Amino acid sequence: MLYTTDEANSAAVASLVPKFKEKLGIDLKIDNQPYDALQQKVFSEFASSSSYYDIVVVDTPWAPALVQNLEPLTPYIQNKDLNTIGDANIGDFIPKVFYDTAVYNAESPIKRYPNETEKPAPDAIKTAGFDVYGLPIQSNVAVMAYRSDLFNDPQQKENFKAKYGKDLKVPETWDEYAQTAEFFTQPDKNLYGTTVMAGVGDWATDDFKTLLASFGGNGHLVNEDLSLAFDTPEGAKALSYYAKLAQSGHVPPGSTSADWGTTAESFDNGLAAMTINYHDLKLADNVKGSIGYAPVPKADATGPHFGTWMLSVNKNSKNKEWAYQAISWLTAAEQQTAMTEKSLHPSRSSVYSAIKDDHPLAAFYETLGKSLEVGVGRARLTNYTEVSHEIAVAVNNAARGSASPEQALKGAADKISTLLKSAGY
Amino acid sequence: MKSTAALPSAGLQVEDSRRAGGQTQTVPPGRKPLTWKKRSLPWAYMAPSMIVLLLMTVAPAAFIFYSAFRNDKILGGVGRFVGFNNFTEALSNASVRQAFLITLAFVAGAVILEMLLGFALALPLAAQTTANKVGAALMLLPFAVTPAVAAMVFKQLLNPNYGWVGYYLGQLGFPKGVDLLGDPTSAWIVLLILDIWQWTPFIALILMAGLQSLPGEPREAALVDGASPWQMFRHITLPGMIPFIAIAAVLRTIQAFKTFDSFKILTGGGPGSSTEIINLGIFRVGLQSFNVGLACALGVIFLIILSLLVPLMLRVIGRRSDPEEI
Repeated sequence: MLYTTDEANSAAVASLVPKFKEKLGIDLKIDNQPYDALQQKVFSEFASSSSYYDIVVVDTPWAPALVQNLEPLTPYIQNKDLNTIGDANIGDFIPKVFYDTAVYNAESPIKRYPNETEKPAPDAIKTAGFDVYGLPIQSNVAVMAYRSDLFNDPQQKENFKAKYGKDLKVPETWDEYAQTAEFFTQPDKNLYGTTVMAGVGDWATDDFKTLLASFGGNGHLVNEDLSLAFDTPEGAKALSYYAKLAQSGHVPPGSTSADWGTTAESFDNGLAAMTINYHDLKLADNVKGSIGYAPVPKADATGPHFGTWMLSVNKNSKNKEWAYQAISWLTAAEQQTAMTEKSLHPSRSSVYSAIKDDHPLAAFYETLGKSLEVGVGRARLTNYTEVSHEIAVAVNNAARGSASPEQALKGAADKISTLLKSAGY
Repeated sequence: MKSTAALPSAGLQVEDSRRAGGQTQTVPPGRKPLTWKKRSLPWAYMAPSMIVLLLMTVAPAAFIFYSAFRNDKILGGVGRFVGFNNFTEALSNASVRQAFLITLAFVAGAVILEMLLGFALALPLAAQTTANKVGAALMLLPFAVTPAVAAMVFKQLLNPNYGWVGYYLGQLGFPKGVDLLGDPTSAWIVLLILDIWQWTPFIALILMAGLQSLPGEPREAALVDGASPWQMFRHITLPGMIPFIAIAAVLRTIQAFKTFDSFKILTGGGPGSSTEIINLGIFRVGLQSFNVGLACALGVIFLIILSLLVPLMLRVIGRRSDPEEI
């Protein structure tokens, strides 16, 4: 099996290897590669029609380009004999996660399943002209983390009430979020309200996607008919909010060059009262406090950015049935539950329901599960990386104040139109 | 093999098809011309390495040229010959043109500064003393660090909240929490400093070797004639160093054009697209979107620029090696 490293929690999957051997009677050999190397490896394996790896892990941005090289799984899912070791039970997957990650029309990968909230069923998927190309394993979604010790501090509550005339609570709207960020910002104490990831990279695009969906836009960025969904009034509103927050002084210095890692580092080191990221966080030893989790705030709607890794069967594999049984066992509820001990982000509803209150990450998982139900994925484009880069440049330009949100989005739209033509759309 | 008539004293003229321009091989009197077997023996010895070289460098390069004129898909689908489409697409894109210019500006800035600093370091370290040997060894440490690791360490040092750089800048009176990577000008300065820190030792090493190989007699003669240190440098050291300067500049230029890690890790092409060098674009197009034809075309354009630039550099520097030009 070709798998990633920390990006999709390789330690959790590796912990199942002994039980895998016991259950299936075969050795599971996992080759781990870091993200960029993994992408190149996966594509080169398929380019050479190699049958070396029976199972390949696929990240959502790659799937539109890879889908024709992945084995369609509906016949396997419908074959009872192949679901005795581990039942795929696709109806148990969180619908939005499952459709966004694994359900494609291979002839037209840009298309999406028409109803992404209905319970997944193989017959309905086939009837609609789609198929299943993998089973979701590690689901990432934007989640808000906050310093619960600060939010529960009587003095902070009193100060907030005195300043704003209302009770201090975990923000549920973007306006409340900005106000709460303002309240907690005390640069002399090295404390800022929140963080933004406005550096040039996919992280900035993801921040913007979340806001775009919140302000009523299409968080996929590009519509199925290839019209652009971000250079719109909702897009301008979302980016204006983001730029204002980035320039407010309520985020730590360096926010316009920050990424996933630096924002997590800032929060872990007690520099921010709130943050938005894609995994659980842990305060540094020298920071006395506690962490709470909540869904990202809303405006007119909600749609936190999400993306899930899936395990797929190599179309060139010589052991497809075994490979299918392996992935259905690895992604089954029992195994996903076991992997929560190693912080795996499950993709099944039943796993979230079964997590007990005494689990060390119970609060995180509760928020993660809720957020995944309403998440919004990426545009299904073969050159999404380039599209994402242009959006990130626009977000960064607006966050630094070197361009107005409208100008920045217009610039990105012009470049992305060219990129889409270049990719043959 | 044909022999041509020649005066005996001039030796036997033998046409040698292996020589460029149809030059002839002169065989001294009394010695037989080499047989085909003897002439091909060196080639037989070289064959394994030549085959490896062909497979490892020439074949991929040929494939890049071939792919640059096609629209092949990496994941199946029949590609076809598309003429200069990929080149037209690359050169008509304003972002690509800007990325090429940014790359050229970076290479010019980095190489010039590294040459000057490298020379400045090499001059005092050229004398073969124990202290200099230790100094030279220490100076080489940055050169030994993997560029990606160096960039990661720099990124931590530059963190405006707990990096050393921000702290000491604060001590010097600069505003607290300066984000050097958040502003185009300072981001460029940081990238140049990192490159200079990493690669100046390489230049210094070449120039040190050059300085140590210069003959002592001209210097002694100049001293006797009462030349000042500047005159010594200007008229003795510098002319003798021209070949070494040329090789250092060319090697470093070729390396600088290949810079990738520091830009990807430190700025990702930002702020905005101010540090978007062409290699970042080629990486995205070729190794993330797998648009092979366009990526190969960009690579070929890059190669053409480099092929034009290097001989030009050699000619400019070479011309300076004429003492009259110094």
